[in-house]
Amino acid sequence: MDELLLSKIRLGIIAELLTARWIAFSEMQRALGVSQGNLGAHLAKLVEAGYVDEEKSFVKRRPQTRYQLTERGRSAFSEHVTQLQSLLKVRTPS
Amino acid sequence: MKPIDAEQARDHLELVDRILAESQQRLCAGGEFFVVWGLFSAIVTVLSHLIGAGLAPAATAWVLPPLLAAAVAFSIVRGRRLRELRGRESLVQREFFNVLWLTLGLAVVANVGIYRIFSGVASAAIWSFSEAIVLLYIGMHGNRRAQIAGVLVVVSMVVANFVAPQNAAYVLAAGMLLGYCGFGLAELLARD
Repeated sequence: MDELLLSKIRLGIIAELLTARWIAFSEMQRALGVSQGNLGAHLAKLVEAGYVDEEKSFVKRRPQTRYQLTERGRSAFSEHVTQLQSLLKVRTPS
Repeated sequence: MKPIDAEQARDHLELVDRILAESQQRLCAGGEFFVVWGLFSAIVTVLSHLIGAGLAPAATAWVLPPLLAAAVAFSIVRGRRLRELRGRESLVQREFFNVLWLTLGLAVVANVGIYRIFSGVASAAIWSFSEAIVLLYIGMHGNRRAQIAGVLVVVSMVVANFVAPQNAAYVLAAGMLLGYCGFGLAELLARD
C-alpha cells in the first residue's frame, strides 16, 4: 500500500484534486479544514513525490499557489483505493 | 508508518466518497454567460422577425452588431476574470465551457456567414439548437436544472414548428429566455 497516501490529509488532497484542473492553496485549505502549515507540509510531500504539480503566480498583485494532480498521482490514488477496497473485502465477513 | 486496518480503510474510503460528492455539488456552470447569450439570442430572434414581417424598420438591424460585440466582449472579459479569481477550476467545468463556446461560435457563424441558407426563423432555430446541445450536455453530467432547461428549449422548437408561422419566432425566443436565461439565473442563485 502507498505509504504516502496512508495519511488522511494527503488522501483528502488527492481526492480534492481528482475532479479539478487546478485548485488554489486557499481553496484547498477551506475545503479540507486544516491549518496552513499542516496543509503546506503535506502538499510539499506530494509535490516531492511527483503526485502533485505546483504553480506560483500573482492574482490581482497577490501571490497565489495552485495545484493539480499529475498522472502519477492519479494512478497512485487509483491503485491505493483499489487496495483499500480489497482490504475491506478480505477483512469483512460476507 | 504502521499498516492500515479494515476500520481505517473504511474510514479513508468514506472520506474519498464524501470529498468526491461535495466537489460534484460545487460544480457551477457560469450562469452569467447563459443569461447574456440567452438574452442576446432572444433579442436577435424577435428583432429579425419584426424586421422580416415589416413591423420594425430595417434600420433597427444595426442594433444587432453592437449587441453581438457587447456579448462577445463580456464573455471574453468575464471568462478571463473568472479564470483568474476561481480558486477551483474543475475538469467538467472546462468541458462545459468548451461546448458552450463551440456551439455559440457555430451559431454566430451560421447567423452571420450562412444567412442565405439559414434565413428567417431557421436562423433563430440554429440558436435554439445550439442552446439545447449545451444545456443537455451539462444535464448529462447530473445537473438537473440544465436537463429541465434543455428539455424546455427542445419543446419550444417542436412547438414553434406547429404554431402559426408568424408566431414561431416568439415561441423560440420564449424557449431561449425560459431555458437558457432561466438556467443561467438558477445557476447564479445556486452559486450565491
